[in-house]
Amino acid sequence: MATSAREASSDAYKILVVDDEPDLEPLILQRMRRNIRAGRYEFVFAHNGIEALDVLRSDGDIDMVVSDINMPQMDGLTLLEQIPKVDPNIRSVIVSAYGDMRNIRTAMNRGAFDFVTKPLDFEDLQITIERTLTHMAEWKEALQSRDKLVALQNELDVASKIQQGILPASFPVGDGFEVYGNMDPARNVGGDFFDVIVLENDRLALAVADVSDKGVPAALFMMSSRTLLKGAAIGRGAPGDVLSEVNDLLTEDNEAFMFVTVLYAVFDPHSGDLTYANGGHNNPLLVHADGTSEELPHTGGIALGVMPGLEYKESSITLAKGDALILYTDGVSEAMNSEGEEFGMDRLRDIFVQHPLTSARETNEAILQAVHDFAGDTAQSDDVTCLVLQRLGG
Amino acid sequence: MEVNAARDGATLIARTDGRVDGTNATEFQDALKNVISPDDKAVILDFEDLSYISSAGLRVILLTAKDMRTANVKFAVCSLSQSVRDVFTISGFDQIIDIHDDQQTALSAVGG
Repeated sequence: MATSAREASSDAYKILVVDDEPDLEPLILQRMRRNIRAGRYEFVFAHNGIEALDVLRSDGDIDMVVSDINMPQMDGLTLLEQIPKVDPNIRSVIVSAYGDMRNIRTAMNRGAFDFVTKPLDFEDLQITIERTLTHMAEWKEALQSRDKLVALQNELDVASKIQQGILPASFPVGDGFEVYGNMDPARNVGGDFFDVIVLENDRLALAVADVSDKGVPAALFMMSSRTLLKGAAIGRGAPGDVLSEVNDLLTEDNEAFMFVTVLYAVFDPHSGDLTYANGGHNNPLLVHADGTSEELPHTGGIALGVMPGLEYKESSITLAKGDALILYTDGVSEAMNSEGEEFGMDRLRDIFVQHPLTSARETNEAILQAVHDFAGDTAQSDDVTCLVLQRLGG
Repeated sequence: MEVNAARDGATLIARTDGRVDGTNATEFQDALKNVISPDDKAVILDFEDLSYISSAGLRVILLTAKDMRTANVKFAVCSLSQSVRDVFTISGFDQIIDIHDDQQTALSAVGG
């Protein structure tokens, strides 16, 4: 029968010694007494492979096995083959006759971690046990971090699918305007979205938003932001009221303190009038047909989701025929190159000096391309999002 | 990114350097939690050496501000570089968070 050393503590390494030699048990307990008393090792004994497997199956805490080769009923080499079926994380050290290279090689081929030779040198046995335990600790740590990585990657994949799913698949086409948006997602961090909503009387609602944080919670927050925004856009007229309503709804129940910055604008393609409200977002850029441009003033609103009861001021402009309005996220203005420089507003405005406006789609592509070229090999740390509205004619 | 703590009486002054973005915002949050002691009567975040903060970093500041308000601890940030200040201004959080030009004015504002 298997017997166990008494003086062991629960966080000791549990070592199963398998040998048919009855003298070995008291010898090991005596030679290893310091480590046993210190609570580092706990020994369990079995006298052949069959007994050893019974112990392994009934005691899930065994960390390693030290086994003799020649034993009745089931020998050590057969035992080695069986151990991984019980627990693949258990490591085994084999005890063989000195110079018995044939059995040692077989044992190593069957997955033994190391071997010691008879007659047992207890100092050598202890060094071997320590080496095995160190290896096991590292192995367990590696397994844990791999599990964490896989979980993290799954979560990011889910978040990315949610994000891609809420972006518009097509853009409204109408007389006198063109609209086109795109997002270049960051590999790990993301929170941008945009939307184009057709309102009554041919008017268009445009929104570009950036949710703080990443992962599934941020993606779900993004989804509710987008849904609430769409609902408010259709139900209410004024951009300030839309942001106010969405802010109040998002603030309820927002324990995690996530927030979303939103630039929301309503455009009338007949008059060219555009009214916008800014909830903590980057200022839109108005580009003229001659390549000059101006940053539209901030309306002073706070990002949505952190404080209820806020009012959002509005500002209005008129797009001349040939003008374009650029809505974007900080992934554009704060894109970083290898020298640690930011893309910045000057480089953004410079694009239109170099390339006169053609279509909304080409303008959008030119902006994303310029950001991409600027960043070069530097890892993209944020989503790069841009929505372009162009008033045609002129 | 590192958070270094110093104390002026019962006021904690925590300095952060480098960048705080989506990749290390959680680390930043944990580091702040670690340096803030229950005995602190005021907390000042000194951002003199902070070169960049993203929205994920801003969220950590908001959360910390909320926790401090709940615990009745005064909270301020100071010494923002122009680009970091712009991030606060654009998001509108300069209207919620107490911001000071330098540590001295922050200290006198929180009564340290």
